[in-house]
Amino acid sequence: MSDRVLASVTPDQAHGSSHPAPAPTRRRLPARIAAHLRRVPTAAWACALVACLNAACWSLITPPFQAPDEPSHFAYVQDLVETGRLPSGGVESFSPQEQIVLRDLQQGEVRYSPQNHTISTATEQAQLQRDLSLPLSGASTNAGVAASEPPLYYALETIPYYAASSGTLLDRLALMRLFSALTAGLTTLFVFLFLREALPRRPWAWTVGGLGVAFAPLLGMMAGAINSDALLYAVSAALFFCLARGFRRGLTPKLAVLTGAVIAAGLLTKLNFFGLLPGAFLGLLVLTWRARRVSRRAAYRSLALACTIAAIPPGLYVAINLLTGRHTYGTISPPVASTTAKGSIFKEISYIWQFYLPRLPGMHDYFPGLLTTRQFWANGFVGLYGWVDTVFPAWVYKAALVPIVLLAVLFVSGVLRNRVSLRRRLSELSIYSVMLVGLAGLVGASDYLEFPGATGSYAQPRYLLPTAALYGAVLALAARGAGRRWGPVVGASIVMLFIAHDVFSQLLEISRFYG
Amino acid sequence: MVAGGLALTAIAVFGVLLHSPAMVIATNGMPTTSVLTAAKENVGACQTGETLPAGTTAIRLSLEATTGPLVDVEVLEGSRIVTRGTEGTGWFGSAVTVPVPPLRRTLEHAKLCFQMRLLTGYVALSGGPSNRASAATSDGKALPGRIRVSYLRSSGRSWWSLTGAVIQNMALGRAASGTWIVFPIAALAAAAIALGSWVLIRELR
Repeated sequence: MSDRVLASVTPDQAHGSSHPAPAPTRRRLPARIAAHLRRVPTAAWACALVACLNAACWSLITPPFQAPDEPSHFAYVQDLVETGRLPSGGVESFSPQEQIVLRDLQQGEVRYSPQNHTISTATEQAQLQRDLSLPLSGASTNAGVAASEPPLYYALETIPYYAASSGTLLDRLALMRLFSALTAGLTTLFVFLFLREALPRRPWAWTVGGLGVAFAPLLGMMAGAINSDALLYAVSAALFFCLARGFRRGLTPKLAVLTGAVIAAGLLTKLNFFGLLPGAFLGLLVLTWRARRVSRRAAYRSLALACTIAAIPPGLYVAINLLTGRHTYGTISPPVASTTAKGSIFKEISYIWQFYLPRLPGMHDYFPGLLTTRQFWANGFVGLYGWVDTVFPAWVYKAALVPIVLLAVLFVSGVLRNRVSLRRRLSELSIYSVMLVGLAGLVGASDYLEFPGATGSYAQPRYLLPTAALYGAVLALAARGAGRRWGPVVGASIVMLFIAHDVFSQLLEISRFYG
Repeated sequence: MVAGGLALTAIAVFGVLLHSPAMVIATNGMPTTSVLTAAKENVGACQTGETLPAGTTAIRLSLEATTGPLVDVEVLEGSRIVTRGTEGTGWFGSAVTVPVPPLRRTLEHAKLCFQMRLLTGYVALSGGPSNRASAATSDGKALPGRIRVSYLRSSGRSWWSLTGAVIQNMALGRAASGTWIVFPIAALAAAAIALGSWVLIRELR
């Protein structure tokens, strides 16, 4: 049976018909994992591979250290390898080895300054080559803005760092970027699997959503650079998949273990994962409530399993931090206190609201003259690359409103067409909404901390990409919104649009840095 | 459908590459070594002695902001406004580029004024030190120097004709230097598009 035929039945049926259920308890773990992987449709693997290739392409296009906070994230890995310790300082004073490369690449002059391009003379290149071969120390205790982040992504990045140890610092950076590109594949794979669980009736729509995410230029750029956001996207997509699977098939002990492990990985990847946490735990509670109808004991045991597994690794991380005199959990606790110290909670809520949506009557205007929904978020998704300093000409953002509005109309149509089945899954949709609001709230609160000096510092759509699964669902529903006959045609058009978007975004990046 | 989409994209890329990029044709020679002042409310500034080349289509001011305010620019010859332009809110970075109608002739000893409105944070005015007589003024007071200003117009050469120079630049400052870098980039992009198209056709058949 081909994958296409497999995909046209429900995942449950697909399991049964393609692979007769063996006695799982008798089989070894690697064999069981291999069996699970074999059940993943070919289309999902293809989408994942597309995302990897796209991110690898971006990794070659983006000049070294010209992606958001890349010098800091690289420094974290270097500190970890060279000193064997987590970085303790948040200053942007890195190892002599990194500092000299940043200087030779004129990184500081190019960053935030689209009028300045990368080095372009043989003399500058010769200087860089000379300095790359100097026996400078790679040790430092600083990792800039990354210093407060948990270590999972950086620990994984030590693998390519070691693997390229015979090369120069730029060789290491290139290999680390390629390693990071794998996370784009993982993100897309989990988005596809999420769609398969959450929107099971039209298998072709999974491919539309999967490819839409795979060709998203923002995902390509971020996963093609060294930044813990890349792993955060993958882990977050995995969390959405786990919850969708739970809502569709029930909370089994196996799924509880997987969900707990994913939450633990998320908590050890980036502090922003905390934004998804309330929704994730609420989801586990709802799943437990449902499962207790069958067996109360099994339900509570699964919940306890998930919570314990989720808590142990972050608990160890906190213990290490306390023992070594670091922040309890990076910088998450001080900002939480400082946001409320800035004023009443209502002011903060009002700020966060306006950070995303039009101001309501009676609200103080925190963003005068700005349509944040459009200027921060819609325009940001259309094109905001490099150190958020690389943008298309203004007319592109105006023109982009046409496909954005069309997609919105199709999405609403898709929701209306599927309203009966969606209404039945209101609790599941509420959980995803809580996760989205939680993440958006965390990003908005972080920006409130910067108010009024650097308002809008966090107005970067990359912070919302942990909800890539929902983004994929919007695309899949938009395609379905065109109806059974035209849906595939519209789906293909959506993917073509995203391919074009990706190509033009790459050309934009090339023109900005090398033009 | 898929082939049509890809063909349309290729045509659009071809068309875009026929356009000329904007280039800096002159500056006022000031470095960006100093922050002359940091504004947090609506404010304007003027500086005299600016030379605008003929054909200028945009004026770039060294203003640094996280979420840039609305910027109105005026260029005056004596008391007569010769050209003006506006850039909306929401720009980001170390400079703002304000489009203006193309200048028909070179302007010398012109006065350049700009006004910022709808600020949502601090805006730093960057430039270099100068004597008091030629310094920029804001609210009637002299700033400690002049703001860096650049003047832009279309380069007159298409992106196609600049391809060689762009590839040369791409070859520098990376792990393995060389113009060959464009081949893996093109191969990866082509492979992603080909694979994506294949799976799309296969699944949507």
